[in-house]
Amino acid sequence: MKKTLQFLRSMKFGVILLILIAVISAAGSLIPQNEAPMVYVRAYPQYYQMIFFLQLDHVFTSWYFIALTVMLCLNLTFCSLTRFGKIEKNTGSLKEKAFQVKAVSQLSSEETEYIRNYLEKKKYRKETRGDTTVYSGNEIGKYGTFLTHLGILLTVIFWSCAMYLPVVTDLTCMPQETVTMEDGMKIYVDSFAIEDETGKLDYSSVLKIILPDGKESELKRTSVNHPASFGPYKVYQQTYGTTGKLTVKDQKGNEDVFYPESKDFLSADGVNGIWYDDLYPGYIQDEDGHLTFITSTSGHYDDPVYVFDLVTDGQPERMLAFPGDTVESGEYTFIFEEPVEYPGLRVKKSPKMINALLLAGFLVMTFGLYITFFMPQVLVAVTPEGYTVLGSKPETMRMTLKEELRRRNRAGGK
Amino acid sequence: MLDYVFFGGLVLYFLAMVLTFFGMVFKKEKISAFGWLLFLAGFALSTVYLVIRGIRAGRLPLSNQFEFAAAFSWGIAVMLIFLHYRYQAEWIDAAAIAMTFLILSYAALQPREITELMPALRSAWFGFHIGSAAFSYAAFILAGAAGVRYILTAKKNPEDERLETMDYFIYRLIAVGLLLLTITILSGAIWAEEAWSAFWTWDPKEVWALITWILYSVYLHLRLGRKKTGTFMAWYAVIAVPVVLFTFIGVNTLMPGLHSYGAVLRGILM
Repeated sequence: MKKTLQFLRSMKFGVILLILIAVISAAGSLIPQNEAPMVYVRAYPQYYQMIFFLQLDHVFTSWYFIALTVMLCLNLTFCSLTRFGKIEKNTGSLKEKAFQVKAVSQLSSEETEYIRNYLEKKKYRKETRGDTTVYSGNEIGKYGTFLTHLGILLTVIFWSCAMYLPVVTDLTCMPQETVTMEDGMKIYVDSFAIEDETGKLDYSSVLKIILPDGKESELKRTSVNHPASFGPYKVYQQTYGTTGKLTVKDQKGNEDVFYPESKDFLSADGVNGIWYDDLYPGYIQDEDGHLTFITSTSGHYDDPVYVFDLVTDGQPERMLAFPGDTVESGEYTFIFEEPVEYPGLRVKKSPKMINALLLAGFLVMTFGLYITFFMPQVLVAVTPEGYTVLGSKPETMRMTLKEELRRRNRAGGK
Repeated sequence: MLDYVFFGGLVLYFLAMVLTFFGMVFKKEKISAFGWLLFLAGFALSTVYLVIRGIRAGRLPLSNQFEFAAAFSWGIAVMLIFLHYRYQAEWIDAAAIAMTFLILSYAALQPREITELMPALRSAWFGFHIGSAAFSYAAFILAGAAGVRYILTAKKNPEDERLETMDYFIYRLIAVGLLLLTITILSGAIWAEEAWSAFWTWDPKEVWALITWILYSVYLHLRLGRKKTGTFMAWYAVIAVPVVLFTFIGVNTLMPGLHSYGAVLRGILM
C-alpha cells in the first residue's frame, strides 16, 4: 500500500503520464476526430477496425485518455501535498543548516567581500552568528513548485468542468424575430450587420436576452471576440448567412413573408407558382448570353439576383428576378424583396463560477512557474573562506554568484 | 522599397552566419567579431522592417505565417543580443545566428502582402498571445542552439569549463520558454472562450502546443528532479527543436484547423 502510494505521487509516474498523454494527443491530431464511421472506412481501409477498437476516432474522450487525466490529477494531488509537507518541514531547519555548513566555494578574502557586497546590494536579509553570515530572501520561492503543481491540478479539474458542463446550442435567427430555447430562454435579434460603419468586415448582432423567468436584458451587441452576457448565458456571434425574402399575396389581399430554401415550390394549386432555386450575390453574362453566377465568401450580396422556375400549368420556365420585382402566377403574387443577412448564434449556458475558478487555476500556475524559475529562494552562507548556496533551487543563485565573480575578474578584480 | 529592407536583413544574417561559423571553426576572433557586427546590422534592418510593416498595417505584424516567422526570427535575435551582452555568451552566436537566418528564410518563402486583420484576430489578446508564442519558440530554439554548442564542445574537450555555463543556459532558456508557452496557452484559452465559446477544442495547434509544453516540462522534471545534466540533456534540447518547428510550421501547413488563418473556413467567422 505504501509502495503504491509512493509510486502514485512519484515524479516518475507523473512523467510517464505526461508522455502517454502527449503520444495519445499526437495520434489524436493526426487522425480526424469525431467523424462519421464511413469517413474512417474510406480513409483507412486497412486500419479502420483498429481505429474503432482503440477509440482513435475520439481519443480525447476515450476511456483511457480520461483515465490518464484522472491519474494525472491524483499524481498532482499527492505530489502537491507531499511538496507542501516538505516545505513546511524544511522551513527553519535549512537556515540552521546554513550556519553549520563549510564554504563549498573557496574564495580569496577580496572575492568573499565582493560577494558580501553583492548580496547586501540586493538587500537580502542578513543574519550573523560567529564568522558566518547567512543571507536569505525570496522566501516565497520555496512555494514555487508546489504552487505550479497546484495550479496545474486546478487547471485540469476546472478545465474539464468548463469543457463538459456548459450546455451549448447553435441557432439562427432572422432580424426582428425571436427564438426560444428548450429551457425557455429567448433571444430577440434586433439587427445584424456584416460590416461596421467604416465598411470593415465585422459581423455583429444587436440582440436582447430574455431569461426563462422573464427578466430581460437591454439591447446588447455581440460580435466576434465580444460575446454578449446575461445571467448564466453567453451569446456568441458564430456564423452568418444571407437568404432570399419573398412576400406572397393572394387575391383576397392576405400576405405572408417567406425565407425560401432551394427547391421550395410555392403554389396554391400545385400546378401554378414558383419553384425557388437560389439567391446569388451577382452574375456575369458572356457574349453568347450564358450566365455565370458568382458566389460570396463575405456574406455580403452587392448585386443580388434570384433564380427560380416560373411554373405555369405544370410547365417550368427558368427566370431571374431582382429585389423589387413582382411575378404573378396562379392565385399568388410574389414580390422579391431585398435579401436578408442573418446571424448564426451560439448560446452557452454555464455557471460563471467555473470560469472564475479556472482563471484562478491559470493564475496560480503562471505565478508558481514564475517564482519557481525567477524568484528562487535565496539562502547563502558566507564565511571568511568563501560561500555556500542552499535553498530549494540553489543552482540559479550559484550560477549568478559565479557570473558576478567572473564579471569582477573581467573588470580587473574590481 | 520595404522588400529591400527585408532582404537586406536576410543577406546580412547570411553573411553573419558564414563569418561567425568560420570564426568559430578556425578560432579567428576578428572574423567572429565582424560577423557579429553584420548580425547587428541585419537585426537593425529586420527591426526597421517590422516597425514599418506594423505602421503600414496599423497593427502588430503577427497576423500570418510570414509575419509570425519574421517576428519569431526577430525574437531569437533579441534574446541572442541580450545573452551576448549580458552574459558574454559568445559561444552561442554561430548556432543561434544560423537559426535566426533559417527562420527568416522560411519567412521569405511566404506571401508578404499586408492584409487586413480578420475579425477573429481583432482582440486585445492578439499581441499578447502571439507575441508570447514567438518569444517562447525563440527561447526553445536558442536552447537547441546552445545544446548543439554543448555537444560539440563536450566532444572536443569534456573538461571545458564553459560546459557548466552552457548546460545552465539551456536549462534557463527552456525555463523562460516554458513560462512564455504557458502564458501563450492560457491566454489562448481565454481568447478561445471569447471567440469560439470553448477554452479548449483539441484543435491541432492546441494539441501540438500542449505536446511541446509536455516535452519541455519533462525536460525540467529530469533537470530539476532527477538532476540530469550534461550531454543527454543537451541532446534533449536539440531533439525537441523539430517539435517546436512542427508546432509552428507543420501544424499550420499540414493540419487545417481553427488556427489556419490562411484558409477560408466555411461557416466559421474567421
